[in-house]
Amino acid sequence: MKYTGQREISLSEEELRRYNRQIIMPLIGIEGQKRLKDACVFVAGLGGLGSISSMYLVAAGIGSLRIIDRDVVDTTNLNRQVIHWTDDMGKEKSVSALEKLKRLNPYCNIEAITGSIDDLESSAFIADASIIVDATDNLETRRVLNRVSLEKSIPFIYGGVDGFSGMVTTFVPHETPCFDCLFPFDIKKKGAIGVVGPTPGIIASIQVMEAIKLILGIEGTLKGRLLYFSGIDMLFREVKVEKNPECPVCSRYRAGL
Amino acid sequence: MAARDKIEVVINGVREVVPKDITIAGLIEIYNERDGGLIVEQNNRYVFPQRYGSTIVKQGDRIEFINPDFGG
Repeated sequence: MKYTGQREISLSEEELRRYNRQIIMPLIGIEGQKRLKDACVFVAGLGGLGSISSMYLVAAGIGSLRIIDRDVVDTTNLNRQVIHWTDDMGKEKSVSALEKLKRLNPYCNIEAITGSIDDLESSAFIADASIIVDATDNLETRRVLNRVSLEKSIPFIYGGVDGFSGMVTTFVPHETPCFDCLFPFDIKKKGAIGVVGPTPGIIASIQVMEAIKLILGIEGTLKGRLLYFSGIDMLFREVKVEKNPECPVCSRYRAGL
Repeated sequence: MAARDKIEVVINGVREVVPKDITIAGLIEIYNERDGGLIVEQNNRYVFPQRYGSTIVKQGDRIEFINPDFGG
């Protein structure tokens, strides 16, 4: 459900204690914590990025989290997908993640699906979310998420990693460029890519920071800025990005088609 | 090539001398960055791919060729 500020949200004594280090910040306070509880975030994918983003979202007190992945846990995941552990091998990632997340914060309402995002494109599972957090591993699925974001006016926080580097930006429909504005090309599919665990750790952490700030209405987000990180040079840089006037995807929505 | 026909730019952090009035498309050819999935940044601004052929590189420009990351 999108935040309207109209639903009556309450925090128990235990929740007030649990989120104390957030609530004592003037930027958050009890009202901000209620906003977080009122929010519903969809995390697309439970690999390296989704492991981190789902845990930080749940720990922060997001009220509702929806997660999806179609894979099962494999040995080669374990160097970076830290929500999945050795004895989870062979288990559906959505089940493995759900078990940990429930233990991390029982106050969060978590729904998990094993399946393909393509099949959910028009479902309420995504469409009712306040924010989409990208944790997928391919261009095609991100294009699906971009369409849902534009159709339903849901902010879409993109993150991607490769090796020691990663990038992140926040797409807000009708306000910023869309995913297809920035990445209008097709790329040749690579085989398995190498990744060290800290790379998705850094990128997914920034994505969650973006999600929290969007929910709380804090300025200074990555709207219109593509932030990229090189772990080899240990540098962050950013590129200013604008709407592509020739983008065939978001121009349809701009025209109201 | 006479000096007046050249400009100095910074490409991926390295000073380079390139022909005057070269376009982004020309640079992509010279630097063999023809991988389809490429982001080009000129002075911290994203250059739309449809404008590579018409975007002139100027003296002192900072150009970055960035390979986007799509792993998760």
